[in-house]
Amino acid sequence: MGAGLVKYSRETVRDVKQVARGWRWGRRPQVPRSAEPYVIPKETSVFPTKWARTPAAIAVRDFIQKVPLNAVLNFEVSPQVSGLDSLLKLDGPALIVANHSSHLDTPLLLLSLPDAIRRKTAFAAAADYFFDTWWRAAGSAIVFNTFPIERRGGKMSSTPGDLLADGWNVVVFPEGTRSPDGWVQRFRMGAAYLAVEHNVPVVPVGIKGSFAAMPRGRGWPVPGRPGVAVRYGDPLRPAEGESARDFAPRIAAAVSALLDEESTTWYEARRRAAIGASPSQTGPEAAHWRRVWESTRQLPSSTGKRRAWK
Amino acid sequence: MARPGFVLEVDDRTPPLLVHNGEGFLLERFPLGTRVVYPPEALPPVRDVDEAIQNALLNPIESEPLPELLSAGMRLTIAFDDISLPLPPMKKPDIRQRIIEAVLELAAQAGVDDVELISANALHRRLTPNELRDIVGERVFRSFFPDGKLYNFDAEDAANLTHLGQTKHGEDVEISKRAAESDLLVYVNVNLVAMDGGHKSTSIGLASYKSLKHHHNSHTMIHSRSFMDHKASKMHHSAWRMGEVLTQHVKVFQIETTLNNDIFGGPLEFLQKREWEWSIKDQASMLATKRALAAAPRKLRHRIFTDVRSNYGLTGVNAGKIEPVHDKTLENVHRQHLVEVQGQSDVAIMGVPFVGPYNVNSVMNPILAACMGLGYYFNSYRGNPIVRKDGAVILYHPVDYEFSQLHHPSYVDFFEEVLSESTDPATIEAKFEKQYAEDPWYIHLYRTSYAYHGVHPFYMWYWISHALDHCGDIVWVGANRKTVERMGFRSASTLQDALEMVSHSVGRSPSITYLHNPPHLLADVR
Repeated sequence: MGAGLVKYSRETVRDVKQVARGWRWGRRPQVPRSAEPYVIPKETSVFPTKWARTPAAIAVRDFIQKVPLNAVLNFEVSPQVSGLDSLLKLDGPALIVANHSSHLDTPLLLLSLPDAIRRKTAFAAAADYFFDTWWRAAGSAIVFNTFPIERRGGKMSSTPGDLLADGWNVVVFPEGTRSPDGWVQRFRMGAAYLAVEHNVPVVPVGIKGSFAAMPRGRGWPVPGRPGVAVRYGDPLRPAEGESARDFAPRIAAAVSALLDEESTTWYEARRRAAIGASPSQTGPEAAHWRRVWESTRQLPSSTGKRRAWK
Repeated sequence: MARPGFVLEVDDRTPPLLVHNGEGFLLERFPLGTRVVYPPEALPPVRDVDEAIQNALLNPIESEPLPELLSAGMRLTIAFDDISLPLPPMKKPDIRQRIIEAVLELAAQAGVDDVELISANALHRRLTPNELRDIVGERVFRSFFPDGKLYNFDAEDAANLTHLGQTKHGEDVEISKRAAESDLLVYVNVNLVAMDGGHKSTSIGLASYKSLKHHHNSHTMIHSRSFMDHKASKMHHSAWRMGEVLTQHVKVFQIETTLNNDIFGGPLEFLQKREWEWSIKDQASMLATKRALAAAPRKLRHRIFTDVRSNYGLTGVNAGKIEPVHDKTLENVHRQHLVEVQGQSDVAIMGVPFVGPYNVNSVMNPILAACMGLGYYFNSYRGNPIVRKDGAVILYHPVDYEFSQLHHPSYVDFFEEVLSESTDPATIEAKFEKQYAEDPWYIHLYRTSYAYHGVHPFYMWYWISHALDHCGDIVWVGANRKTVERMGFRSASTLQDALEMVSHSVGRSPSITYLHNPPHLLADVR
């Protein structure tokens, strides 16, 4: 009897382990490659996130962000933030638009913002990624104040407009997804459309080094406290009668200029931008590995000596 | 919208896959690159079954509407498929009940008094009264059974058999006298797989040993490639010839039904879902079921599986003249089962489940397990077998030494006496078949008890003759070594061992195809 019970328990543990491994408990489920064409797209249901912007949720989030998140972020990476004075030029809600190459971008951006702005900032997050399960949706909503948007086209969620109207700043990564090689991808029209539609300024942000610190596929930053740079630029406003189609390249150019500024100096970058010669941030036309190689070059850590005007 | 069947290629993202293993199942990690054939998902069922039946009866194919064929004073016989279909048995009400009730309703309106209902069980065991009631329903049962008008066909009742003549190939056509002498024979079929239906219904279901032996023999079976494609099956060719003779004498109104693949519902639903799409609930159900089965005593486990009743949605009902009706039926069956597979492979893998046509409410003995795997699943192809000539077949089933003395008495002797002498179908046929077929004790049990006919185990063995001829190696995973050895096969503890054992004929890195079955599928091997 005893031996039988032990055997049964062992087999049960073995079965549970097999299922846990096979179905990747705690991780995102995968579909075999050959079965991908037969996957039925999930019916999208809008996850309510209004509760995450109530005073209680804001207080909880403020604590999480300021204490554990801030501590972990500064322990693991060494952020260098510049251009925050540009934010002083804001007089109301704004769209904050940044390039996106890592999951680090969100906490970096958030924790580099002045407290007053940070508390009033919401993140647009991919509905299919961050809102696929209730616990992931609830978790990201409470920590980062995310709200779901459909990145695979379709009708635009009405939430970003409502948030802007309610006085919230909204962060959008117009590339739609993290860059696979660290270089800037094509900016989509969503951010420009929002800015034009709601007549709000756009704050461009260039983030450099986050791909080297924690590229796609990694769940934690690389060791060695890599340096990451966040640079804010002056707010852009859509001109009178300017369409989203015309405004979008201006946003992309502003982010590119900020990234250029990050690798050279402010004045050089301004001069190049003035003659329209800002180097492309889409990376060299080269094999994938060389693109990755180039973009994983680590920025010097903030503990190192900093140059003037940088 | 039901998704089509497809062939999965196992990669690093593929979770362990479910394999049926007798009264249980297991999760197996197949080698990378293994092809797994998944049948199409359950097709949407017809919305109104009764309306579909009425429509079929009133607008038959190449036949007068049924009411026009019915008249007062006529002899009407309704024959129906026995308990071997569908598998697992259907939740009530059975589709046969709904059709028979509709037919009887019309017969009542026409004032037909002389009606008899026959279970077309040929040499299968008789159905118990309860089993008959489950198929035809309480109302029909109560109206006909007490008067002896609802009964099992008796292939050994010489006085009640009629010899209708011979086919151009000299095959005897001998069927139930009542059916042969009826003004109208209505056959109610359940076409679960492509093998069923057509002329096989009447000319096999209501036939005697004298008639059956013309196509149920090792020569015909080895040349039936496969049973699931009547145009390429010698057995079906013979049945079709007999059907021609039969329909010259008897007016047959054939009603064929097709079912979808909605087999497992409730907590067992995971059995028919694609593994990578299992929700947490499915995973939990699987774990709970697997562990519960492991803890359950054997009898309880058997009971759990015997009690499985399937939902099955009706995908079509067609009535009228046999051939055109059957063509329509096959269209529907193919829509549900057919999966295109490119090329044969070196190794085919199949999991043998808990139920086959001949062990409903009974146990799956070693011969039936072999028949299920090597007869039915191996033959689930159109075009070419899934495995190349002289390739290997790996099967999963415990193959316990377990027989039902009530249902399969001749199987025990066949296993002990015949298989110990030879496993070659032709040798067995020549040496032993006649003796078993004419054994008075087996005949007595077949006629009065609930036993399969004495010759039935031979048929099971002929059923697998094509596989025996085609395959170089046949290995069972996790099977009882002794029973498997008696049947001329080998047993391995694990899939890895089995692949090791067959490596001398298929090499170290063979191409492998796993037929994910059930639900049922038909591999269209190009």
